[in-house]
Amino acid sequence: MSSMILNGDTSGAITVTVPAVAGTNTATLPAATGTVMVSGNMPAFSAYANTNQSIGASTFTKLQINSTATTGFDTNSNYSISNYRFTPTVAGYYQINGAVGYTANPGTYGIATIYKNNSEFLRGTQGSNTNCIVSGIIYFNGSTDYVELWAYASNASTASGVSYLTYFNGSMIRAA
Amino acid sequence: MTLYEKIKSLYPSLENNDFVTVITLQNDSNGAGDYIKAWNHPTLVKPTQEQLDAIK
Repeated sequence: MSSMILNGDTSGAITVTVPAVAGTNTATLPAATGTVMVSGNMPAFSAYANTNQSIGASTFTKLQINSTATTGFDTNSNYSISNYRFTPTVAGYYQINGAVGYTANPGTYGIATIYKNNSEFLRGTQGSNTNCIVSGIIYFNGSTDYVELWAYASNASTASGVSYLTYFNGSMIRAA
Repeated sequence: MTLYEKIKSLYPSLENNDFVTVITLQNDSNGAGDYIKAWNHPTLVKPTQEQLDAIK
């Protein structure tokens, strides 16, 4: 395996390694200024609720998405299972998705919505469905910006604690 | 009685749509309970805490 080491001006180094595999391949860098993204600086998470949660009638309620274990993951330790929020430490644009599954019809309006920095930011489907989803691309500054998944139901309802019904996930898609 | 129920008893004319457009009730799931996050109703005045407390 051949390698090329680029030393930083003051410290650190990057090693570019060619795998010991037959054949000639070409990696072309774009004619543009930016940061090369690799898996190590592209946070991704997948969390889910593992307990039922009561949702008061006509009240936007933060969902207690409290687990990244088993079917979930949190590659950069950016999701808090105590505050139920994703605060990525790498600035950039992220695809964020969420869903709430109600155990019964939520009434006229069942809603899943993403809050950014404690304000509603991206509202998803809005109707009398037991499964409500929200999805979008959100910019994060890599330090203070965070998102949470919130739920709404016209009638007092219960958000399911089943991992494939009530979940919150996302991944970086482009650096800042 | 919940905050929503108190507001509905004060203003029975409010409809479901009002609570997803001009009035926002919120619960931060931190044990502090429900509160009025935003009140932008064009004709009905935001109830005072005294009015809400008086409803049992």
